[in-house]
Amino acid sequence: MMSVMRFLFFILSSSAFALPADHAQRLERGLKSFQQDVAGILKENCLRCHGGERVKSDFDMATREDLLRGGSHGSVVVPFDAKGSALVQQINHAKEPHMPDDKPKLSAEVIAKITAWIDDGAPYAEPLVAGKKPKRDASVVTDADRQWWSFQPLKKINAKSIDELLLKNAKGMSFNPPADNATLVRRLYLDLTGLPPDSSDQTDLSALTDRLLSSPRYGERWARHWLDVARFAESTGFEQDHDRPFAFHYRDFVIKALNSDMPYDQFVKWQLAGDEYEPQNPLALAATGFLGAGVFPSQITANEVERTRYDAMDDMLSTTSSAMLGLTVGCARCHDHKFDPLPTRDYYAMLSTFTTTTRMNVDVLPDGKVTAAKTTVNAKTNTPVVPGATRMMICGEGYDPIVMHTQGGPFFDKTYVLKRGSPDMKDGEATQSFLQVLSKPGDAKRWQWQPPKDAKTSGRRRSLSNWITDVDQGAGALLARVIVNRLWQHHFGRGLVPTVNDFGKTGTASSQPELLDWLAGQLIANGWKLKPIHKLILSSQAWQQSSQRDAKKEAVDPDNGLFMRFVPQRLEAEAIRDSMLAISGLLDETMFGPGTRDENSKRRSIYFNIKRSQLIGSMVAFDVPEPLVSQGSRPTTTVAPQALILMNSPQARQWAEGLAKRIQPAGDAPKQIAMAYRICFNRDPKPDELATGAEYLKSGASLADYCQVVLGLNELIYVN
Amino acid sequence: MFDRRSFLNRFGLGLGGIALNEMLAKASSPADHGVLGGTHFAPKAKRIIYLFMSGGPSHLDLFDYKPVLNQRNGEQLPDSVRGGQRLTGMSGNQSSIPMVGSPFKFTQHGQAGEWFSELLPHTASIADDICVARSMFTESINHGPGVTFFQTGSQIAGRPSFGSWLSYGLGADNANLPSFTVLITKGKGGQPLGSHLWGSGFLPTKHQGVLFRAAKDPVLYLGNPAGVSADSRRLMLDRLKELHQHQFAATPDAEIQNRIDHYEMAFRMQTSIPEVTDLSDEPQHVLDSYGTDVKTPGTFAANCLQARRLAEKGVRFIQLYHQDWDHHGGLPGALPRLCKETDQPAAALVKDLKQRGLLDDTLVVWGGEFGRTAYCQGKISTNFGRDHHPRCFSAWFAGGGIKAGSVYGETDDFGYNTVKDGLHIHDFHATLMHLLGIDHERLTYKFQGRRYRLTDVHGKLVKGIIA
Repeated sequence: MMSVMRFLFFILSSSAFALPADHAQRLERGLKSFQQDVAGILKENCLRCHGGERVKSDFDMATREDLLRGGSHGSVVVPFDAKGSALVQQINHAKEPHMPDDKPKLSAEVIAKITAWIDDGAPYAEPLVAGKKPKRDASVVTDADRQWWSFQPLKKINAKSIDELLLKNAKGMSFNPPADNATLVRRLYLDLTGLPPDSSDQTDLSALTDRLLSSPRYGERWARHWLDVARFAESTGFEQDHDRPFAFHYRDFVIKALNSDMPYDQFVKWQLAGDEYEPQNPLALAATGFLGAGVFPSQITANEVERTRYDAMDDMLSTTSSAMLGLTVGCARCHDHKFDPLPTRDYYAMLSTFTTTTRMNVDVLPDGKVTAAKTTVNAKTNTPVVPGATRMMICGEGYDPIVMHTQGGPFFDKTYVLKRGSPDMKDGEATQSFLQVLSKPGDAKRWQWQPPKDAKTSGRRRSLSNWITDVDQGAGALLARVIVNRLWQHHFGRGLVPTVNDFGKTGTASSQPELLDWLAGQLIANGWKLKPIHKLILSSQAWQQSSQRDAKKEAVDPDNGLFMRFVPQRLEAEAIRDSMLAISGLLDETMFGPGTRDENSKRRSIYFNIKRSQLIGSMVAFDVPEPLVSQGSRPTTTVAPQALILMNSPQARQWAEGLAKRIQPAGDAPKQIAMAYRICFNRDPKPDELATGAEYLKSGASLADYCQVVLGLNELIYVN
Repeated sequence: MFDRRSFLNRFGLGLGGIALNEMLAKASSPADHGVLGGTHFAPKAKRIIYLFMSGGPSHLDLFDYKPVLNQRNGEQLPDSVRGGQRLTGMSGNQSSIPMVGSPFKFTQHGQAGEWFSELLPHTASIADDICVARSMFTESINHGPGVTFFQTGSQIAGRPSFGSWLSYGLGADNANLPSFTVLITKGKGGQPLGSHLWGSGFLPTKHQGVLFRAAKDPVLYLGNPAGVSADSRRLMLDRLKELHQHQFAATPDAEIQNRIDHYEMAFRMQTSIPEVTDLSDEPQHVLDSYGTDVKTPGTFAANCLQARRLAEKGVRFIQLYHQDWDHHGGLPGALPRLCKETDQPAAALVKDLKQRGLLDDTLVVWGGEFGRTAYCQGKISTNFGRDHHPRCFSAWFAGGGIKAGSVYGETDDFGYNTVKDGLHIHDFHATLMHLLGIDHERLTYKFQGRRYRLTDVHGKLVKGIIA
């Protein structure tokens, strides 16, 4: 029998209900009643369906813990409060469904006994099914769950700089000496713009940083990082893989937002609900392309319609939670999350945000007005007939959904909680609320946004965006941590939290928790602007130190989680190709608009059209991921097909010829070689490099042959 | 030269797999043992040739003989057979679902008396070399998720494919060729095949399948550009190597060495791949055995022969696709054509492997993503079609560790439900991995917070198909 002390401890540790002053006496009385009458009553009338042979409505009364947990319709018994307990109302037939189901009403005497027992705290002497243990209650989020570091409010860190905090944890090590100026200039250019330096006489690094941060090339470089996280592509995926010809506006939105240093909280809000914030602002509408960038099948037969719709909503929710919160919420679709306090109930409560959200096309008219896409389009060019109008794919509510070949409608009016993720096992309607573990106790209505009467939308996505950006009571602290970690990752090659898309218990904890919180605090204090955080990081001794290797440091800190050296990073596919184009003088800097899949295009790689079934081969060889789910970091492989591209592709030859044309006028071979090294590596050639080059040219190789050798060098695709 | 262990210690695992293979191959040891460093237990097979019949071949017209359908041709499929199941696919709105018997004759072959329709005379001739499973089943009723399920263990695209898992787990046996290659019959149309089917998902991209194209360059940019000779290419690579070595002398970084090596590997692939794809050294009788199509690059016959050559060279996973088995209508006309394209080459492949002693450690798999319905789609006619049917369908296996000359599983009289030994995709994967010496529960990769594997949280060994 459970001791009263243990029992009291259980009650006291749970803050869900008020504990009356005379609870000890009451519980003792209740326990007696349980043993004499109530256990028998419950076994006879209730247990068969609720814990004995079955567990209907997910309500199990075999143990007290499970009784108090309630079922799929919520709380059933509130200890010490019979009046407030649904069970008492149901057995009194004051609330549907009446209980016991399909049986006559219980006698007044029995009802009175149950009522008194609940008023006495509903204590159990033993489980109603011998030996049964309570389920670990993964559907209830406790204060203990909120202790996990990433769910905590931001800590106030007193510090003046990144370096100060890193040195505190450095295990007695110190930074490498600063890299030389030429290396830093090249590092800075590639890091911020994805392009090599355009001239070498740069001495004032701070001024250069500012200049590069305000270059349009910055947005093109950093937007690409976010597009991985947003699993962005311009086709539907699956077997048909239809084009989404108007999806590129989202890519342009990301570039524009980063270039204008849009505050990150606004960046998030617009992606979730731009149409609810500024329904007439094309840029805000384009932002919602985030939600609509996922895969979606066509040829949906009648019995696939519902599952497909849940898949589509899951894609929106999973991407939102991975990208913005670094949480694998998708795991809770079929069961309470195995490791993180993310109950299935929370999943569906979040999922219902997107009940009526679909992809839609709108037309932006020449006068800036936004209207429904006119159905009449020029079939050949797939463009709207209104001259000068721009067609845009957005993802929200209120316009005609884009309908694929399907035997069903675009969405259902309600979202249900599904058992094991199956639409055939509905378990009550889901209503919108947010992750408990990231919500201070209180009414979820505080985030709710009521749309104006004439609005076309439900307000649910804007409500979500209110919660996700709420630093004090909602998910805002985690939101800030996740984005500053992504910035850090792309500057250093690894995040402070290495598992950039997983801040949960299965992720790898931060090696620098104070620094992460300090940076997140700085972000918020700077009005969520990202450029000041870049500047902070790029001005640090940590970022400016050399990549010189040091066996001692590598032994103490093999993964460089302490950041006491700079680890060279291989450039991403886009930056490699863009660098080649820039070096060869061929780069076409035209920004925005529809992309192309023509590899001969001279525009930056971010303007490649991304069709899921036809990814650009040379990009994939350099590790461009398949845009199917949110990708936080790319693998870096060194494989032979990369060499074949640099050796044999017609593009590689064009690049070599372009570079040859640039260095040709420099004069004799040594001067040409020197110029090639300055253009490619921002340094002068060493004597042996000069000798090899001169010899090769002397042997009859053309200048273009020589240039192709230089473009094939490892150094070109690494940031040192 | 250092041994493998000190090499790994020095440079760290995970740096440039193929380059690594190549360095080790120089010491003429098997190239790369993958993350497992060898198999979990003694393998029965070393490689897989997977002949994927995309679109869903009709089990009822090829392997699963159901005379009841002929006897009751035109009658409604009894409700008791359907068991209240919803209809799948495009026949979902049909008010009438008449059964339709196969128009093709069936005969028994081999020691197990396996049934084959007259469309598969060559496959019938290898009856004693194969195991026909009649009880495959899946959860997908549409092509995209269905094929994806077979190739990646999940209906939703994005997981690593079977071949990637093997490359990741077991590495490569041949330093000059990719360990996972994909060949698609040219110009078939039908349901498109996306690169995610041979993608590496969250595994490093070096494990993804390399698609051999039925073109001049089976691998992207394999050929020297016009006007560049092998000699001048060699000169260029020598200079590149020299410059890299200068750099390596100044900063001894393993990645530079990897880069040097993968340029060399690429250079060798320029030779090794044309070598393996050039069929001119095949004797006439071998060519003849695969059928007349074999001379046309990109046909299923040419790809089957190609598969044997890749198997000989130690390629671990050779994936073939043949599309266009999706016979919603016009089945009596279309099916003989598809069988004519595939029956002889598939059987010839098994015989050819056997004759060379390669069948003992090569697994050959033939099958699609689902079967087809016992009732006809639309109105019954001489040119009828059948809809998708995931509840049971047939596949066959041959080679390393497979119980040759056997039948596994049984369907009801209507070929609608499985009545014995259902064989799910996860079990199929688990069993093939077992034959390759891998415990499917112990080849995992941690991604986004959890350990993933090909069989997800499922999969059990199917002893009934193992010798």
